[in-house]
Amino acid sequence: MKKVVLTLLLAAGLSAPGWAQTTFPNNGVADERPNLYAFTNATIVVDPQTTLTNATLLIRQGVIEAVGTNVTIPAGTVVKDLKGKRIYPALIDLDSDYGMPEPPQGAAGGRGRGMGGPPQYESNKKGPYYWNQAVQPEVSASLLFKANSTKADELRKLGFGTVLAHPHDGIARGSGVLVTLADERENAIVLREAVSSHYSFSKGTSTQAYPNSPMGSVALLRQAFYDADWYKKGGNKEQTNLSLEALNKLNGLPAFFEAPDRLGILRADKIGDEFGVQFIIKGGGDEYQRIDEVKGTNASLIIPVSFPQAFDVEDAWDADNVSLAEMKHWEMAPANAGVVAGAGINFALTTAGLRNKTEFWANLRKAIEYGLSEQKALEALTTAPAKLIKADGQIGTLQKGKVANFIITSDNLFSANNAILENWIQGKQYIVTAQPTADLRGTYNLTIGNRSNLKLNITGKSADKLEYQVVASDTIKITPKVSVANDLISMQVQLDRRNPGTTRLTGYRDGSTLKGDGDLPNGQRITWTAVRAGENVAKADSVRPVRKPEIGKVIYPFIGFGNPEKPKAEVMLIKNATVWTNETDGIMQNADVLVQNGKIAQVGKNLTAPAGAKVIDGTGKHLTSGIIDEHSHIALYSINEGGQTSSAEVRMSDVVNSEDANIYRQLAGGVTASQLLHGSANSIGGQSALVKLKWGASPEEMLIKGADGFIKFALGENVKQANYPNPNQLTRFPQTRMGVEQVYFDHFYRAREYDNAWKKYNSLPAKEKAAAVPPRRDIELDALAEILNKKRFITCHSYVQSEINMLLKVADSLGFRVNTFTHILEGYKVADKMAKHGVGGSSFADWWAYKMEVKDAIPYNAALMHRQGIVVSINSDDAEMARRLNQEAAKTVEYGALSEEEAWKMVTLNPAKLLHLDSRMGSIKSGKDADLVLWNNNPLSIYARPEKTIIEGTVYFDLQDEDRKREDLSKERARLIQKMLTAKAGGTQTQRPTFRRQRMFHCEDIEGVMAEGEEHQEAEQK
Amino acid sequence: MKKIVLTILTVAALGRAYAQNPPAAKPQAGAIALTGATIHVGTGQVINNGVIVFDKGIITAIGDANTPTTGASVINVSGKHVYPGLISPAATVGLQEYASVRATLDFNEVGVINPNIRALVAYNTDSEVIPTIRNNGVLLTQAMPLGGTISGSSSIMQTDGWNWEDAVLKKDDGIWLNWPGYYSREFNFEDFSVGLRKNSRREAAINSLLATFSEAKAYAAQKTVTPINLKFEAMRGLFSGASNLYIRADYAKDIIEAVKFAKEAGVQKIVMVGADEAHRVASFLKDNSIPVILSPLHRLPNRQDEDVDLPYKMPGILQKAGVTVALSYNEEWWRTRNLPFLAGTAAGFGVTDREEALKMITANAAKIMGVDNVVGTLEKGKHATLFVSKGDALDMRTNVVEQVYIQGRTVDLDDKHKRLYKIYKDKYEGQKPLAEKK
Repeated sequence: MKKVVLTLLLAAGLSAPGWAQTTFPNNGVADERPNLYAFTNATIVVDPQTTLTNATLLIRQGVIEAVGTNVTIPAGTVVKDLKGKRIYPALIDLDSDYGMPEPPQGAAGGRGRGMGGPPQYESNKKGPYYWNQAVQPEVSASLLFKANSTKADELRKLGFGTVLAHPHDGIARGSGVLVTLADERENAIVLREAVSSHYSFSKGTSTQAYPNSPMGSVALLRQAFYDADWYKKGGNKEQTNLSLEALNKLNGLPAFFEAPDRLGILRADKIGDEFGVQFIIKGGGDEYQRIDEVKGTNASLIIPVSFPQAFDVEDAWDADNVSLAEMKHWEMAPANAGVVAGAGINFALTTAGLRNKTEFWANLRKAIEYGLSEQKALEALTTAPAKLIKADGQIGTLQKGKVANFIITSDNLFSANNAILENWIQGKQYIVTAQPTADLRGTYNLTIGNRSNLKLNITGKSADKLEYQVVASDTIKITPKVSVANDLISMQVQLDRRNPGTTRLTGYRDGSTLKGDGDLPNGQRITWTAVRAGENVAKADSVRPVRKPEIGKVIYPFIGFGNPEKPKAEVMLIKNATVWTNETDGIMQNADVLVQNGKIAQVGKNLTAPAGAKVIDGTGKHLTSGIIDEHSHIALYSINEGGQTSSAEVRMSDVVNSEDANIYRQLAGGVTASQLLHGSANSIGGQSALVKLKWGASPEEMLIKGADGFIKFALGENVKQANYPNPNQLTRFPQTRMGVEQVYFDHFYRAREYDNAWKKYNSLPAKEKAAAVPPRRDIELDALAEILNKKRFITCHSYVQSEINMLLKVADSLGFRVNTFTHILEGYKVADKMAKHGVGGSSFADWWAYKMEVKDAIPYNAALMHRQGIVVSINSDDAEMARRLNQEAAKTVEYGALSEEEAWKMVTLNPAKLLHLDSRMGSIKSGKDADLVLWNNNPLSIYARPEKTIIEGTVYFDLQDEDRKREDLSKERARLIQKMLTAKAGGTQTQRPTFRRQRMFHCEDIEGVMAEGEEHQEAEQK
Repeated sequence: MKKIVLTILTVAALGRAYAQNPPAAKPQAGAIALTGATIHVGTGQVINNGVIVFDKGIITAIGDANTPTTGASVINVSGKHVYPGLISPAATVGLQEYASVRATLDFNEVGVINPNIRALVAYNTDSEVIPTIRNNGVLLTQAMPLGGTISGSSSIMQTDGWNWEDAVLKKDDGIWLNWPGYYSREFNFEDFSVGLRKNSRREAAINSLLATFSEAKAYAAQKTVTPINLKFEAMRGLFSGASNLYIRADYAKDIIEAVKFAKEAGVQKIVMVGADEAHRVASFLKDNSIPVILSPLHRLPNRQDEDVDLPYKMPGILQKAGVTVALSYNEEWWRTRNLPFLAGTAAGFGVTDREEALKMITANAAKIMGVDNVVGTLEKGKHATLFVSKGDALDMRTNVVEQVYIQGRTVDLDDKHKRLYKIYKDKYEGQKPLAEKK
């Protein structure tokens, strides 16, 4: 035992620290060393642009003193001859959690309290901090940092020398610390503290209820930035808030944002734009899927080299569960870095996201094989990250004065045969691959005891990867088991097949001879020698021509039925159709409609097609304006921010998902525009996104420019959590319809005071204004004040007459108008009051009975409201029903006997009016947007289906083209399946097909609380 | 005559100020003849300007304009359409009222093996949903239990009757089995996603089912058994052919295995229910003469890459493959009134014609459920369970049901929705409504 301890101490004591321990006492005598090393005869890659051959690198005390081909080596230098070897700057990873504390167990996703407990509405972090636990800019990675030799070693082996570490927890995560991966005291390896600031959309381990949605995260971050500004301008006189103080201090540092995917990058950048910050954004490795938009952000990126596993697609039926998008991403992910580089985007690479860090090199080489240049790869691991954190004066290259962080390699760093031999960090050596003391490759005459006619062949691609063979005769070739450690050699060989048994030989290298003694199987001790007889003629690997792998095309959106080319607007003339104008012309027979520049140019008879126009024969067909869905939840990542009674601050435009299959499915049902609403989990929901269903466009392009702002309100059972199964969770105010009224008064009174405070402040004379503390910008109250100022409009989820009446009275008393009641299933009971107030109604055609508050819902509702003069639309609130809103509109003919023309307006012109878009949409009139649907039949007929769906003159759905599209899709699937089968046969690890069902949202869905597939529950929760 | 009948109906509706369903209809008092109608027989045949005569609840004659109507009260329904009562299989109508109110839900019993559970006795003829589906032409509904692996037995109910004994057309027509799926749904608490993975406990579940069926079959081979096993008693019909085995399964592999299982277990009549992937195993279904009750067509494709209209065109695919298809609204009780529109959708998406689509909610359903001797088509000797629609009943605009007869009984067309409509129409008319906006 004592000996063991001594050995350990010896190991520690032999290596003197590579840095000065000036402030630390010393147990023993002083051991200051010059740490002066020269590496000679090396190929030195000083930086990605500069390679020196036969050069020397001189380092002293952990810093590069000289590099070049003409370096004078001072006396007292340890000289290492690196002939045939290369030196590169050590690599840098900017997205590391090295040395950071592990997040508390079970706290993933901020739901550590479990599903059963009461929601925690207030922060449980004690101290003068921000109100929300997920905002913790005061966290300083340097205070948390603890070196960890195991993890450091893992990264050193990959060639990394420096990392930027920060705790990956929360929406505002504080400042990052730049550390080296040396095994030294933290004092030495922290190169710089507070290097950077870090943000994300994920609340991390926060147990607080808010936010529970991505749009809530965005809103929270926005508000925090505004609060910091307020704090700086005088808020600090009102309160002490270390979080806001910290947020202000972080201002100006390189700011990093962790985004989950390509659309997350766009979202993060949008936030940055609002606050004049250009985030450096960590992406998900799928940037190639929206490369133009990603480039458009001008953000520098941090990109992972983690690639999805192939799927096991051997079973033809099971393989159906793997989507085209998943298969294509499997194929294309390795090309991502190359695409990003090719687009001219500045980026750094990271090991983050790898299932296993040891996959790093294999994956990086794959990325190079798929089109990333070696030079770009090296930049992305050295100079680019160094510049991003403004540490290029310290790290990233091997220029004089920089930290002596470098790696010694056997070959080109990116070559498959390369071995990283040593990683020097701050001038201290870490051996990565033990180098053989000599190259043993060659042919030897082997004598074992009295057997002398043996040969030993030692071969291998490199001196450290050897293969052995003992040749007894031309026909008998034996593979022995050999291990070599420094100059010691140990070999076991089964020499004689007739007398089985292992001969064990141990010995050493003596010059070019190997020798020693050993035991025959029978225990007889013998001596052995292997005398080198010749060089091994290593067959050079025939150089495979490096061919970039062939891969499929990116499609927009990146999902089945996406298009390789984004569709374009056309000039077209639709001739001789039955045209439902929704105007005074009514339903015109044998009419023509001319579309130009995305607009309806002309409506009439016998129009002439301009040159180059596409002529579409509408004979026997019906042409209508596109269906507008007033109440939709498709194409969104999330629906409800239910963490608070009011979430007026959240914007659905922050979470538009342009890659949702339901967009295409609804185009196939004639829908061209939708209001994407917040859910109904709280009395005051979030701000709507008004979109057109431009399949393939980015979220930003889908948004309708210049549209008025809308906001979702909600009443009744959902708001008061009437159908929550767990009584423990019923603590949020309000729990009754009585309380709902008070929520509104409270919020609107506060908004009015807030608005007045701003008005007062803004009207101050310049001098006084400069001296005054501006009111605190509150984005929740902003939205509510906009309602009071008639600049934002309410769509209110509502069912029973009492609550409808209540909100009308609240609005009346505050002097604004409710724009629309949605669902409004008892609207027929108060239709007179609604008409008087001037509110519209957007309803289901025939839904009822799914909960108590819809027990009096009747399918005649729309007709009754319409006859009282209310603008009525029929909406879906359901991804499926939206595909046949024409049928739902037709039900108003059955129930209430509306005319077909009026019925049709319920899904076109009337929703356009409710959304204040009727000057641009909702009817076929010259000058309006060319959002058109060509039907095979009367659009209200059950037998009708769209043949073409056109948005702004661009055909997004074409029944004629549909067969080809489906065939292309199945061909592409087949190609990828064959490729995956080949990959599996080649030994690639595969994953089982897991059928991920997309969640379908209705307005009551709170993220995570209800999972897709629980259909009966979904039906109840409309 | 027609006017008189209609007036009586209207008066009845007007006179009722209380919020109750209309009373059950009285037995047919005398022969009735509907003349001048477009009669959709349900066999695929359409009789233009046809006549249908029924007495004591039974169709006594059907044919062209020359069909004698002697002795019958003649109601001229020229320009209108007569249809066999639509049949809604696999439904929870009568078993649930308000989905969010547990007290009103009676279709899902606890336990795993519940063949003895009978939906019949929970069927509430006073459900306010029933008149609303009847008034769109759905005159028969199969009350179906859900839950567990073997859910219980269903019964075929008329949408008219004072109580379940009155309303029932066929008691205990079949046992319902939720097939242990090839995939099971797994909820991931880490990322709150749901994935379908291969069901690791499936073999065990199937083995235990097989044991249950083997024992039930052995039990059924004996006439009387002591002590009585309620579960096995309930399963006797499966082995004699007296009752169907309705198996819910969607995935193609499940469909094949479930059918193989049932055959091996000695089940005589097998019906697949749900069957989202039936198109994949259409020839298997045809070869084995297995009929299918499809899930509501008005659903989304199950997978991203599936044809966007796959659910809509499913009936057409199966029809062309020679599979007997019925359409259902499943447990979506109140939506059942839209059953005719599912048939309309099927006709719009590939079923050869409207009459074939109509069969999927009449004759085919009757045949599958073993009630085709009395309902499902308008043929002499069958029940006068039929309705008159203003126009094409498969289209929303023209599905305006003007007369309903169930076993010849003249059914009151009032329902909660019409009552509320009338009440509020009257209210606003009394107030002098605002000018109708254009």
